[in-house]
Amino acid sequence: MKNFNEKLEELKGNTINPFSVPKDYFEEFPTRIQEKIVSEKKELSWAMRVLYYVKPHFALGFMIIAFAAISITAVDFILSGRNEAGLGNELFTRTIEVDAYEFTEQHFIDVLLEDKKDVIEKKEIETDHYINYLVNEDIDYGTLIDEL
Amino acid sequence: MSEYSDKELLDLFSDKEKRNYAFNLIVRKYQEKLYWHIRKIVVKHDDTDDILQNTFIKVWKGLDGFRKDSKLYTWLYRIATNESLTFLKQQKTKYLLPIVDYENHLSETLECDEYFNGDEIQCKLQKAILELPEKQRIVFNLKYFEEMKYDDMSEILETSVGALKASYHHAVKKIENYFKED
Repeated sequence: MKNFNEKLEELKGNTINPFSVPKDYFEEFPTRIQEKIVSEKKELSWAMRVLYYVKPHFALGFMIIAFAAISITAVDFILSGRNEAGLGNELFTRTIEVDAYEFTEQHFIDVLLEDKKDVIEKKEIETDHYINYLVNEDIDYGTLIDEL
Repeated sequence: MSEYSDKELLDLFSDKEKRNYAFNLIVRKYQEKLYWHIRKIVVKHDDTDDILQNTFIKVWKGLDGFRKDSKLYTWLYRIATNESLTFLKQQKTKYLLPIVDYENHLSETLECDEYFNGDEIQCKLQKAILELPEKQRIVFNLKYFEEMKYDDMSEILETSVGALKASYHHAVKKIENYFKED
């Protein structure tokens, strides 16, 4: 490894750059790059000028589009709210009309009672708690009425 | 021209009336170094010319936001390196070439390049360098040909000094093996 490093150093010492460039390349390059930058600036300034003239029209266009979009969204929102409510009622009515024959009166009563079942159960638990308390404390019904 | 330091050039560039002049001085100061750095990566003169132009256009656009406490020349090298690597990636994608085939293509380019006039041993060295992976090749070129400090190289390639030393060591080993095999 050390020997090869030395060999590389020797090689570098003898090496004249094996690559070359076209005649006057480095003399002309700074001018070419300046020209390219100037042409890029011109292109950019042309684009900026177009943008300057078009900008007010764009702004007006965007305002109209934004106003239209907001109006459409608002109207759509209001109408969709109404439709959903209308559709909801219509759907329930339709369901009852079409499917009602599958259910008996008892089904509907069961469903309605099912909703209230939790509330009733909770009330029953509370009542039991009060009764137990009165029994444990040996408070009779008459005393309680007198106190109230 | 050469009496201007990087800091002086940047101060000159910040003066709006003198910025064209300052940029011209920056181009003149660094064009050759960057050219040879890019040329050793992409081999062909025409490709190098395109990349060098793109590099300086980016420098022109980015110089306004350049922090003066950073080193100008490591920043320039970083742009040139990134542009070269992007170019190589584009070429591989464009021609749907696997990496190994593309390195072979560069070796062939070297042989028939009208702007390569090295002797047999120089040609062999360049071919051995072209066998190296891209990043290793850049590390080897910067250290061997340009004798750049590892600290500066670390800033350019955003890699630790230790990793760069290891990379250079592996590169020399591979070149040695190439010479032994041939």
